[in-house]
Amino acid sequence: MSPWGRRVQLSFPDVGSIEGPLLEVIDLHTSFRTARGLVRAVDGVSLTLGRGRTLGVVGESGSGKTVLSRSIMGLLPGSNVERSGTVRFSGHDLTAMSLPELREVWGMQVALVFQDPMTALNPVVRVGRQITESLRLRAGLDRAAANETAVALLKSVGIPAPEQRLKNYPHELSGGMRQRVMIAIALACGPKLLLADEPTTGLDVTVQAQILDLLAAQQRERHMGMILVTHDLGVVANRTDDIVVMYAGRVVEQAPTVELFAHTRMPYTEALLRSIPRLTEASHTRLRAIPGRPPDLATETKGCRFAPRCPYVQDHCRQEEPPLRTAGQGHSFRCWYPVGSAEGDAALAYNVSARLPAALAFTGTRVRDAGGAASVPNGTRVP
Amino acid sequence: MAELPSQASLESESFASLSGHGLRVQGLAAGLPASGILSKKKGLGVTFWVCTAWVALMILLAVLASVLPLKAPNFQDYSSVNVGPTARHILGTDDLGRDLLSRVIFGSRVSLVIGFVPIVLGLIVGGSLGLLAGYRAGPVDTVLNAVSFVLIAFPALLAVMVIEAFWKPVVLWKLTLMFAFVSAPLLFRVIRASTLSFASREFVVAARATGAKTSRILLRELLPNIVPAAVSFALIGVALLIVLEGSLAFLGLSIGLPTSSLGNIINDGVNSNNLQLNPYIALWPSLYIFLLLTALNLMADRLRSYFDLREVKL
Amino acid sequence: MLRFVANRLLQLVVICFLISIFAFLLVHLLPGDPAKTILGPNDTPANHAILLKQLGLNKGLVSQYATWIINIFHGNLGASFLTKESVTTSLGVAVPIDLELVIVSQVLALIVAIPMALLAALRPNRAFDRIATTSTFGMLSLPTFVAGPLLVLLFAVTLKWVPATGFVRLSQGFGANLKSVILPSVALAIGSVTVYYRLLRADLIATLQEDFVTMARSKGLSTRYILVRHVMRPSSFSLLAGAGITIGTLFTGAFVVEILFQLPGIGYQLVSAIYANDYLVVQGMALVAAVAFVVVNFAIDFLLTVLDPRVRRG
Repeated sequence: MSPWGRRVQLSFPDVGSIEGPLLEVIDLHTSFRTARGLVRAVDGVSLTLGRGRTLGVVGESGSGKTVLSRSIMGLLPGSNVERSGTVRFSGHDLTAMSLPELREVWGMQVALVFQDPMTALNPVVRVGRQITESLRLRAGLDRAAANETAVALLKSVGIPAPEQRLKNYPHELSGGMRQRVMIAIALACGPKLLLADEPTTGLDVTVQAQILDLLAAQQRERHMGMILVTHDLGVVANRTDDIVVMYAGRVVEQAPTVELFAHTRMPYTEALLRSIPRLTEASHTRLRAIPGRPPDLATETKGCRFAPRCPYVQDHCRQEEPPLRTAGQGHSFRCWYPVGSAEGDAALAYNVSARLPAALAFTGTRVRDAGGAASVPNGTRVP
Repeated sequence: MAELPSQASLESESFASLSGHGLRVQGLAAGLPASGILSKKKGLGVTFWVCTAWVALMILLAVLASVLPLKAPNFQDYSSVNVGPTARHILGTDDLGRDLLSRVIFGSRVSLVIGFVPIVLGLIVGGSLGLLAGYRAGPVDTVLNAVSFVLIAFPALLAVMVIEAFWKPVVLWKLTLMFAFVSAPLLFRVIRASTLSFASREFVVAARATGAKTSRILLRELLPNIVPAAVSFALIGVALLIVLEGSLAFLGLSIGLPTSSLGNIINDGVNSNNLQLNPYIALWPSLYIFLLLTALNLMADRLRSYFDLREVKL
Repeated sequence: MLRFVANRLLQLVVICFLISIFAFLLVHLLPGDPAKTILGPNDTPANHAILLKQLGLNKGLVSQYATWIINIFHGNLGASFLTKESVTTSLGVAVPIDLELVIVSQVLALIVAIPMALLAALRPNRAFDRIATTSTFGMLSLPTFVAGPLLVLLFAVTLKWVPATGFVRLSQGFGANLKSVILPSVALAIGSVTVYYRLLRADLIATLQEDFVTMARSKGLSTRYILVRHVMRPSSFSLLAGAGITIGTLFTGAFVVEILFQLPGIGYQLVSAIYANDYLVVQGMALVAAVAFVVVNFAIDFLLTVLDPRVRRG
């Protein structure tokens, strides 16, 4: 028996023999009790992930996506958190598990890649030990075997001279290398599900691409399920099978990636897509940001959460929150006046003529001031 | 370091504040909730005000001692020797028949003066030097810093004893001066450290850029920010000095009789005969000191955590 | 790295030099005439002059100081007038005692403080934390000159478990030695427990909020492992700093304990020397005590810099 306490035994079937989805999240709610009231960070999220597939979770800061990944794992601090809903992983109900049982799952079955490697790695512990400790304590390897495996892991994530790296401290490595180390740590015990929380934020664009390629390669090799959490639609564009778009703690659109980009329905998603700058545009083109700010998650709102910033908004939206509706092909969305539909176009036109600021910003129309004409970047004439 | 139980804590806090590790400790010491609830800042809290009231009451009693209906502290009533608490002698009497209640209250005069006055003096001298040194780093600062370190390295008790040995007889004002001499370097260091941490902040640079004179910057910009830490530290200093006086009394080196400080009374009370015959002699002044020290420590701690949290949020 | 070490050593030497000057001045600049005290009733002008010459006190201050320093470098710290015992010999007796007191008391304090801090930091502001913090506050307010006699009364006089006074050397038996040292060590440890507990708890709470702790949890590592292998190390820096100061001051800070329990450590011998106006002994021992404090501090500071890979050197 290890000096660190006894471990609980749980059985997890082999990846290949799983029937049904690898991960099922059913109506997950996660709220924090704060001095200002109950903050609903995750407000009724459901999703499914099959083995070997990649899911992208996209949203702004404050949309609840980071809390979602921690809540799925059950990794939240105990005292002021309320959680309800079900999370089923590989046949086990994670939400019903006790802490010792959850510890069996963490690392070995489900792993989390953190956002900021500088704070997520212990600055006073050598990199080698941070990799080998899970190998020795969880996978039961002895020191020699663990070191060998660590070297192999570092090599597989593309770190040169891995034997030396084992002895380094985190601050002695570059940002990109630190992130690779984090990935190596996450992959060390061969998890079946990888949750990557903003794995590329803060890295150079070229390094970003390398890291994402690395994740994709590892996923294929190990046949893992992967959830990529990010605010950047460009990151998930070519690398995910399905995408979930979150806003203010709720899922507002969910679809296979190709379908999402081809037939966007939710105005928020459309605005996100439009905000990505493209190489094909002329330089000095004005960026199309979404005006306004994400809502305060502590206050209860009536109606659709996106209403204050939506170019398509109508009175109905402000009164009643739209439910999640399906549009075939696994595509669901939450909108009364979806993009590309007749109602949607009419709503937008109405808003533009009514001089709604969000609509005007959306169509690129500048409000005409007292004397002059407005210039319009995308060529739409001002009526 | 049990002689001066708080000294190690304040010294280590001041020392730690001067090394890189300390800034974190100083900023996040005590009181930072690790749970998810952000506690509301409700002011300093009931405990703080109760302690302040207690200390104020003690000071008041000491100041008004001669006017209060107390028996003379040195009057030896041989008819009631070593009597326990009764209606006539609320706290009992000692082995010479002296009323303990009045002895404690009159004794507290000395202890309180020994505690507060040197700190005030030390704040004036050490504090202003600390402000200057912290603000105007340079050769003067380095010299003052080294000197203060040397003075601190010298054990306070030792310095006082040596001075005493050659400066007899020991009288209240001399002791006060000695204590001030001993506490000034410590206060200098704390205020210097505090000044240093504020002097590089932008509001100071901004003030300088608008052409403000040094004195104005010191008084209007830096001083208000330093006051909380300084007061907190000063309170601990008072506690320290009271204990120091007690230790001196234990060695028989405190104020000469017949003036009695609390330390003297305790010293009388713990020599073995008295401790077994009449533990009250030692008990009441010990209790008094215990309550006073607890109150001072609680106040200092509360002040520090109250203002430090603000700093962390900045 | 080498430059850093050299720099530090230079600072150390300068400070020690300054301390020696201070120790010297403290003894020599005060009113009081050692020759008069030594001669006592035999004080005639003739004898006085002879003694002054003998003691070297008729020379100028600077040359007296120079003589003293040169003697030190030859290993001669001076000798006592009365016992004729050299200071070095007295130190040889005193240092092992103090060493043992320091080691035993700090080990005791750490054994109590570390688990308490760990438990309190895991669940801050809950039941255990509040109780622990309050009781350590109480310890802080209990001066040694009160706690010591109480301990003696309870354990030595009433229960008769250990002797009340006297030091038994290690060479004369481990058990007897331990018994003579345990009570004074407990008295000394009481104050240190509070310091260590508060410092460690604050640092632990800060560290436990870091991301790498969540990351370690996400690997499925047990709480015990995370605490010991991930959290203790970054949190122990202020503990080390505090220990440094406590140990440094403990050598002389144990006065009261040494006198109460009749242990001839440095403090005890210093006090005796001061009573006897044995100025050379006072000078020499004061110098040793202060230098020990400074050296320990520098060593700890150096250790901190070396141990913390985050801190830049040089």
